Amino acid sequence: MIPDTVYGAILLSIIDFFLSFVVISGIGFVLSLFPYLNRLGEIDEKKLREGGH
Amino acid sequence: MFDQILFFFNALLQQTGAANFNFGNLVMIVIGGTMIYLAIAKHYEPLLLIGIGFSCIVANVPGPPDVPGGPPVSALLYVVQEGGLFHYAYEGVAKLIIPPLIFLGVGAMTDFGPMIANPKLVILGAGAHLGIFVALILAKLVGFTISEAGAIGIIGGADGPMAIFVTVKLAPHLLGPISVAAYSYMALMPMIQPPVMKLLTNPEERRIEMAQIRKVSKLEKIVFPAVIAIIVNLFFPPVAPLITMLMLGNLLKEVGVTERLAKTAGGALMNIIIIILTVAIGSTMAADKFLTWDTILIVVLGLLAFLFGTASGVVTAKIMNLFLKDKINPLIGSAGIASVPIAARVSHIVANQANPHNHLIFHAMGPNLAGVFGTAISGGIMLALLGVQ
Repeated sequence: MIPDTVYGAILLSIIDFFLSFVVISGIGFVLSLFPYLNRLGEIDEKKLREGGH
Repeated sequence: MFDQILFFFNALLQQTGAANFNFGNLVMIVIGGTMIYLAIAKHYEPLLLIGIGFSCIVANVPGPPDVPGGPPVSALLYVVQEGGLFHYAYEGVAKLIIPPLIFLGVGAMTDFGPMIANPKLVILGAGAHLGIFVALILAKLVGFTISEAGAIGIIGGADGPMAIFVTVKLAPHLLGPISVAAYSYMALMPMIQPPVMKLLTNPEERRIEMAQIRKVSKLEKIVFPAVIAIIVNLFFPPVAPLITMLMLGNLLKEVGVTERLAKTAGGALMNIIIIILTVAIGSTMAADKFLTWDTILIVVLGLLAFLFGTASGVVTAKIMNLFLKDKINPLIGSAGIASVPIAARVSHIVANQANPHNHLIFHAMGPNLAGVFGTAISGGIMLALLGVQ
């Protein structure tokens, strides 16, 4: 897909670096929504541990 | 009679490795010894460097030739040959069994709370990866193929298992030098990163104290691995095995009902894997295979990748400060390079030197953990663009 040349290496780097920013920003956005999960309720950690094996 | 004694002595000598010892072996033994010294005296990642250093030394003690007139075979290589213990250890690395198991253990030991608590800092996990691409382009310029250059570049992701994973997919013949460079530089980060961090920041920036991060609930920590596993499997199938195992390990830790499994994954299993991995890597460091022009280039390019990655992380943090009301300490930018938790510790130490009241470790862990995903994403995109499954 990418030519095995210096031009190909530069192209690969630019696309990869740019997309990495986009994707990690997307993950950041998803994480910014996490506090809303707490509206669903709270998990009792003590009870969780008691149920463990 | 004297001639006969000499003859037998000579025959005996040929049965040992002494007659086959060369200057290259000596150089590699010194390198192995230096690794052990740094691990013991400087406490630089002893879990990694002791095993790598020791097996590097032994791999360079030549034994007698396997066949009369053939090349000398080190004692360690006997156990690396098919049927030997470390043959299977190396196969575990080469067949990509070990890297996902390492990620399982890392997940079981890691609290992703700092990353969940401060989502804006995850951008540093991408920002600190410029080094990957600088090394990739330079590797291509000096004559490596684009697949080899990609594998060399990923050293800059400062993530050992990911470097192994991508290298096996793109350039398996370079697995030895790339894994050695990746793990050695990760261990040497306390020496490599601070000069770059100090060069790119002024004392005032290094003294910036950051507000305490919010407490992340158990529910968020339990949902996190599932959400990330879905995203990565959906968009980055080439690196999904690693991240899936990372998230499974983390789920085992966070759910609270599988404490035994989490302890095993992050404890005994991880320790076994580390022993296997370090010996497998060190055993590839025989002088005749390791002391080549390609290895020297890879070592130099790997160092440049780490330096540029550290620099780009700090610069990204400084750019973020132009837009943020509550300024972040730019030293946490370098932690985005991954290498959990070494890079975060380095950020903390450098900031603490500038301001003894500054405890950046939890803030730096956010970008540090995001760096693991940043490396995985970069590796995944690279494999996809190069048409590798």
